[in-house]
Amino acid sequence: MRPIYPISNRTRVMDLALQLLFTGIGIGAVYALVALGFVLIFRATNVVNFAQGEFSMVAAYLMVVAVEAGLPYWAAFIVALLGMALLGVIFNLGVYYPLRHRTYLPVIIATIGASILLANSVLAIYGPQPQVLQGWFDTPGLQVGPVYLDSQYLLIIAVTIGLVIFNFWFFEKTLLGKKLQATSQDKEMASLLGISVSTMIMITFIYSAVLGGLAGILVAPVLFVSIQMGSTIALKAFAATIIGGFGDVAGAIIGGLALGVIETFGAAYISVPYKDGFAFLVLVAFLIFRPQGIFGERVAEKA
Amino acid sequence: MRLTRRDFAAGIAAGIAAPYLIRSAHAQGATIKIGMCAPVTGPAAESGGYAIKGAKLALDAVNKAGGILGKQAELIVEDDQTTNPGIVLAFSKLAAQSDIVGFLGSIRSTQVHAMAPDVIKLGKPVMIGGTDPNLTHMGNQWLFRCRPNDSYSGRVIAEYGVSTLGKKKWAVLHSTDAFGTAGGKALTGALEKLGATTFDQGYANQSQDFTPVVLAIKQSGADILGSYFTFENDLGIFARQLRQLGVNIPWVGSPSITNVTALKLAGPALYNTYGVADYAEDSSEGSKAFGKIYRDAVKVAPDNQSSWTFDAINVLAQGINKAGTTEPGKIREAILAIKKFPGAEGEYNFDQNGDGLHGYNVVKNDKGNIVFDKHIEFND
Repeated sequence: MRPIYPISNRTRVMDLALQLLFTGIGIGAVYALVALGFVLIFRATNVVNFAQGEFSMVAAYLMVVAVEAGLPYWAAFIVALLGMALLGVIFNLGVYYPLRHRTYLPVIIATIGASILLANSVLAIYGPQPQVLQGWFDTPGLQVGPVYLDSQYLLIIAVTIGLVIFNFWFFEKTLLGKKLQATSQDKEMASLLGISVSTMIMITFIYSAVLGGLAGILVAPVLFVSIQMGSTIALKAFAATIIGGFGDVAGAIIGGLALGVIETFGAAYISVPYKDGFAFLVLVAFLIFRPQGIFGERVAEKA
Repeated sequence: MRLTRRDFAAGIAAGIAAPYLIRSAHAQGATIKIGMCAPVTGPAAESGGYAIKGAKLALDAVNKAGGILGKQAELIVEDDQTTNPGIVLAFSKLAAQSDIVGFLGSIRSTQVHAMAPDVIKLGKPVMIGGTDPNLTHMGNQWLFRCRPNDSYSGRVIAEYGVSTLGKKKWAVLHSTDAFGTAGGKALTGALEKLGATTFDQGYANQSQDFTPVVLAIKQSGADILGSYFTFENDLGIFARQLRQLGVNIPWVGSPSITNVTALKLAGPALYNTYGVADYAEDSSEGSKAFGKIYRDAVKVAPDNQSSWTFDAINVLAQGINKAGTTEPGKIREAILAIKKFPGAEGEYNFDQNGDGLHGYNVVKNDKGNIVFDKHIEFND
């Protein structure tokens, strides 16, 4: 049911749209960060890592533990990211490596199993109650004209922009980045050229775990730290990855941002309870009309 | 020694008869047994622990006061795993023990619905904490509720907002799950009877962002907010965004707004809000007495997770003692006859449906402390 009161002082349409746009981009940036992790692992291994969301959740809990242990916020941040790098190594060795010569299906199922294991391990250790993690800034936000800018969302957007630039530089300008690209494009050829494929895949898992963790730590002050936080974000991030074009870094970012904005505007102007529905409606539309996503290339089945 | 055919037959017969004889001996044994289904594992394990402690504290008090029918009472706990199949299994295990005379079910309505058919089959009294009004209105004569049902929470929120706070333009925000929809409907219905206008807004659980909801409330021109939140993290995110976006209208919420977890997550965003609470420590002498016993024994603040089980044991013990027998039908009649019984949750006056409480407390969040404001009781 829409508003029933005669609104004399209705917030101007433009102000409303600007507020929604900022929030949509903020939440979309979170989806984009997690989507980036999906894409990197997919490019390196050709499988979807369904534990990517749990990387965010584990990192947020590591951060809570480190802050509660009395570490300064920046030190807790570093400890949490180092913890995520270690988790990336363990994940690669424990989940991907033993199944690397199998088809993609057992690996995907293994990542689902790992996701359940991670969620339940944290539940067993920390309990079901959601936790609070303070944001990076003491000021919760700024009022700029009619728009309230949440400081944590500003940070998330800034980090996402920074990561887009870093990824471009890293993958296009550095030797390591080029080796990683070569590995993701053709493992056999990369191996013939003297690139250690297993090392490159290990690095990809570490980087993806750190990226997922970064998203979790950044979003935790907004969404709180809970066992479900990872799976909720990951579902949207997965949709963003498909919309952007699976395997495309720029697509993941654009897909994530687009999804955040679409669902926020859909909720405001059409229906709040069906907010998630808009995101998945867009996903279904892409799967039907443009399955390769915005930036993906059509891939024909190999003979 | 040779084993004759006769010895063998006698041995078999003794083996078959032994469990029955032992069980029968137990039935006439030294203790009165009460079964309890509680979440020992699963997402609600923490609150399940509080529920068991509340029940045990009541049992200790009952035993010190002479027990039930002159015998000491004993609590048998089965893990309901915080799931519907879990509580069905737990209840079936307890129901198989014929010497258990009464039971404690769940605080979750969905679990009570799951076990309800087996409760009818067994035909023994089961005390419940689930607040779905239908539970005591669907012909199951063996369910006895030790918390006020949701029809009362909606009426109390409406009554307090309209009569005490003097607000008539309401925004009603509720989850779109079964609990939230029923609560929102009850509140909207109660507000319409009081002549208030409502702007109804649902939301899906586990929303990451409430900006569109807050802006809709802001646009609606409502001067008061009533809410039914299912999950504390949703409530926390909404509360923060509500304040950030400059909406500072009075807010009266369902019990989750006074929940310890919600207070921790939302912090100052919930200051000066009101909530309905079935347990409020300062609401009555019975509530204060329970609060003291609980704090001394468990060393944490009491809440409704433990208060309803505390009352459930006391009401059941009172019912059996008044009945003077463990015959289920007589116990049922005795429980339904209980009036003006002072419990931790309030004064129990059972109606013929099995509802013991008919009102709620209104509490205020005073800088993070939950302070009792008033009790609103309905007699119809």
